Amino acid sequence: MEGLRMWRLSSSIPRPLSLRQLFGLRSSSALVVRCSAGDAAAATTTNTRQPSRNRRASTSTATNTSISDREAIRAIRLKKVEELRSKGLEPYAYKWDRSHSAKELQEIYKDLNNGEELDGENHRVSIAGRIVARRAFGKLAFLSLRDTSGTIQLYCEKERLSNDQFEQLKTLVDIGDILGASGSIKRTEKGELSVKVDSFAILTKSLLPLPDKYHGLTDIDKRYRQRYVDMIANPEVADIFQKRAKIVREIRNAVESQGFIEVETPVLQGAAGGAEARPFVTYHNSLGRDLYLRIATELHLKRMLVGGFEKVYEVGRIFRNEGISTRHNPEFTTIEMYEAYSDYQSMMDMAEEIVTRCALAVHGGLTINYQGVEIHLERPWRRETMHNLVKESTGIDFTEFENDLKGAKDTIMKAIGVELDGKDKSSIEACPSIGNLLNEVFEIFVEPKLLQPTFVLDYPMEISPLAKPHRRHAGLTERFELFICGRELANAFSELTDPLDQRARLEEQVRQHNKKRAEAISGTDTAEGKSNKDEDSMYEVTLDDDFLTALEYGMPPASGMGLGIDRLVMLLTDSASIRDVIAFPVLKAQS
Amino acid sequence: MNFLFQLTLFVVREFDHCLEPGSARHSNMDENEFSKFHSGVKRGDIVGISGFPGKSQRGQLSIFPRSLVLLSPCLHMLPSEQPSDKKKRTNHSWTPGMARTPQTYILRDQETRYRQRYLDMMVNPGIQQLFKTRAKIISYYRNFLDNLGFIEVETPAMIMTVGGATARPFITYHNELDMNLYMRISPELYLKKLVIGGLDRVYEIGKVFRNEGMDLTHLPEFTMCEFYMAYADYNDLMDLIEKLLSGMVKELTGSYKIKYHGNGFDSEPIEIDFTPPFRRMDMIEELESRANLSIPKDLSSETANRYLLEACERFEVKCAPPHTTSRLLDKLVGHFLEETCINPTFIMNHPEIMSPLAKEHRSRPGLTERFELFVNKAELCNSYTELNDPEIQRQRFADQLKDRESGDDEAMVLDESYCTALEYGLPPTAGLGMGIDRLAMLLTDSPNAKEVILFPAMRPQESRLD
Repeated sequence: MEGLRMWRLSSSIPRPLSLRQLFGLRSSSALVVRCSAGDAAAATTTNTRQPSRNRRASTSTATNTSISDREAIRAIRLKKVEELRSKGLEPYAYKWDRSHSAKELQEIYKDLNNGEELDGENHRVSIAGRIVARRAFGKLAFLSLRDTSGTIQLYCEKERLSNDQFEQLKTLVDIGDILGASGSIKRTEKGELSVKVDSFAILTKSLLPLPDKYHGLTDIDKRYRQRYVDMIANPEVADIFQKRAKIVREIRNAVESQGFIEVETPVLQGAAGGAEARPFVTYHNSLGRDLYLRIATELHLKRMLVGGFEKVYEVGRIFRNEGISTRHNPEFTTIEMYEAYSDYQSMMDMAEEIVTRCALAVHGGLTINYQGVEIHLERPWRRETMHNLVKESTGIDFTEFENDLKGAKDTIMKAIGVELDGKDKSSIEACPSIGNLLNEVFEIFVEPKLLQPTFVLDYPMEISPLAKPHRRHAGLTERFELFICGRELANAFSELTDPLDQRARLEEQVRQHNKKRAEAISGTDTAEGKSNKDEDSMYEVTLDDDFLTALEYGMPPASGMGLGIDRLVMLLTDSASIRDVIAFPVLKAQS
Repeated sequence: MNFLFQLTLFVVREFDHCLEPGSARHSNMDENEFSKFHSGVKRGDIVGISGFPGKSQRGQLSIFPRSLVLLSPCLHMLPSEQPSDKKKRTNHSWTPGMARTPQTYILRDQETRYRQRYLDMMVNPGIQQLFKTRAKIISYYRNFLDNLGFIEVETPAMIMTVGGATARPFITYHNELDMNLYMRISPELYLKKLVIGGLDRVYEIGKVFRNEGMDLTHLPEFTMCEFYMAYADYNDLMDLIEKLLSGMVKELTGSYKIKYHGNGFDSEPIEIDFTPPFRRMDMIEELESRANLSIPKDLSSETANRYLLEACERFEVKCAPPHTTSRLLDKLVGHFLEETCINPTFIMNHPEIMSPLAKEHRSRPGLTERFELFVNKAELCNSYTELNDPEIQRQRFADQLKDRESGDDEAMVLDESYCTALEYGLPPTAGLGMGIDRLAMLLTDSPNAKEVILFPAMRPQESRLD
């Protein structure tokens, strides 16, 4: 039972393993379970693998199942499908009545002693799931069955099964098949809780072999393209999506318990606003016009406040036509929320509330580990202004510069120029205002250091076109971003409600964008190799006039926040890449 | 004081109960301060008031203000009530399940109502309640499924191959990847992949997109809930959805029966009864008996096709070409069966040729284990025991290809990645898709889908000038 337990062990590790850890395991002496005895024996002609079920993983045998191998197995299993049909058995069944899930049984019978059996009518159970491991000895067979909740062993004795069921089990059942089984409860001498099977049925015959436990993982591209295989081979992957569901539910509970109402605003829009990003464009045949995919939900949710809703939110998909990375997928999920008669202080409390509730729901505690860093989520979190954080990190006090951009740049170069690489230097050089400069220095020097949760307060006006001017500090806005592990998790402000100021700022934004765009276009005329940065601004930005009109009808003072759900899930599931928390991430076309 | 009384229109809305700001005489503000303030405040402005509650001489619950602050001015004139409207106006406020009376709204122009939804919500009674009802529908649905152990997942809205339904997709272009992407028309195939991956009970509530003409019940983006339940079949889902919908209607409206202007706002509203169990009718049997037909058993045959074409002609049921058997049947069913489905009714056991993703019926050859739920003659749910035999699935896709070649561009395209997924083994599973907007329409007495969508897609405004 060594092999079976190995599998169980790995599936019961509470936190998902990071890739790095898994690679670590691979080179250790972990045992591999690949109990496809029937397949392997049948396919030995093309196979150099040892037929033994428990073997050491080593690079010399670490070949993926070859294509011919796969086809051979598939052909054999198709024959088994026919054989089942010829026996009057349906290889693709219609339904199965389950009495329990694997986890429920593990819970109910956790106190059952080793070797103990419960045979009474009350302990008749029925379960279903996928066979993930199998061992057979003469008149006894052990199968490991997994459902969404966990794994349980099937203990199959020849005498106990009717007719030729034991024969079927040995010849027709393969790893990967979906089985339904019923029987009584037994804990083996070795301590494995089992269903002692009276009868079983093949519910779905699988045709393709599962990748073996460790090597299947190395093909990262396949992991994302065939996520279901990834999930079958690695229960901890499926677990991430269960945790994701739990997190989203907890976010909803958090905001709804405070009276927020969920609404749905359009994805397809005549003008994409609320953020600075390149939108996707599509064409609506019947309307005969281009439509943009939303890049934020902000401007429509604010219309709701104008209409009289006081607390609204939307959990929804956002689309940005930008690069793909470990932190960026073209579509991602955010929650945006708006609350009338409050300011950004209120949103800080809300951010703390949401993140801590989710952490408790997933971890049961507030100290979590992200990629080797211990994060402490106990409230309250640090709240510090951008000015002070920059001063703390670099010694530069931006309040001294007034509006002397040139002087500011000189001071920065003198003070910290040696620490800057060429790219940073040129982006500092390119800053058109003190506000942009402050933000640039912040991003280079402060952001990566903000590992523990930190609210960064009072962003410059120039980079915050939708935020209300700060009530005390000219040139700043009442805005914060929440950073954890050096990443922005949330962005919030006291909302700008003055329609004239808003119009001026959005028009300025459009002007700035068009300037960049014009430069980029003329740049491509002269220079052969255009940089990505240039290409980034090659799209059109349109003013959302309807939104500005709405503001003119009067929007109550309000605060609002956007929070990236994928990033929160990454943080709480210790996932290094956004692709690990999105079931089917966008990938390059297969060549 | 008149304008101040009007101001309450908004103050009232802010607090959602009937509060009057009261008058200066009762407040602690001095005359000067008060008149200075109220000469600067107009109808539509948002103000903050602090004071203490009390009853006015007319018995109205009021706030006697200590101070009033203008928070956000309104720069436009608001639509106002015509004196003649006041008579028409009913006194009771709208609650879900009741008939609505849009003809008595202060702002009645549909274009303006949809384009400037915030105005609609500000001045027309019940509109906020309508969207709160929509939120409650979704939240009831979610809780119902969560309590059964379903988990909510998110599958991609932008995809490389379109599948799971038959409709024309939106196309967009990803710059960096330099490739076209489609907007999903259904999340079905991805959700079933997750069931294959081991999530036994999954659902998704999300937008789907169809690049098609717009009418009262069709919009380019709409909200769909699909769920998949391993080890269950379509009989289980009929029971489940019956319980879900009747329970929801009861909880939201207080009764199983709702009022609905199914024949337009000019006619009397009809009553729709969600009392379980819902009526169930077998599609082919019922069609044969109602139209007195005897449809050839082999529906994929030429004979069947000719028979149905002839039947359509005889009953003057219009069917635009191509005259595939599937389309002819669909039209006949629409004419003879769907028209009779006012109260929730399951039409079940569709032929294989109409249902490429549904499992063949366990005892009736040529049919599938599928049902559609119709309410007020419109399809609300579509559900089946999922076809999980990869070989048969491939065959069905191939049959669809034949329909496609005969000109039916609504026939489904082969999705090889889905067939491969099936080869890893999809457990016996039943799935159901329901249009959330259609349900919201029923419970809010909205015969037009745009009523239940906050910001519906509209033609560009310029085009009205042409």
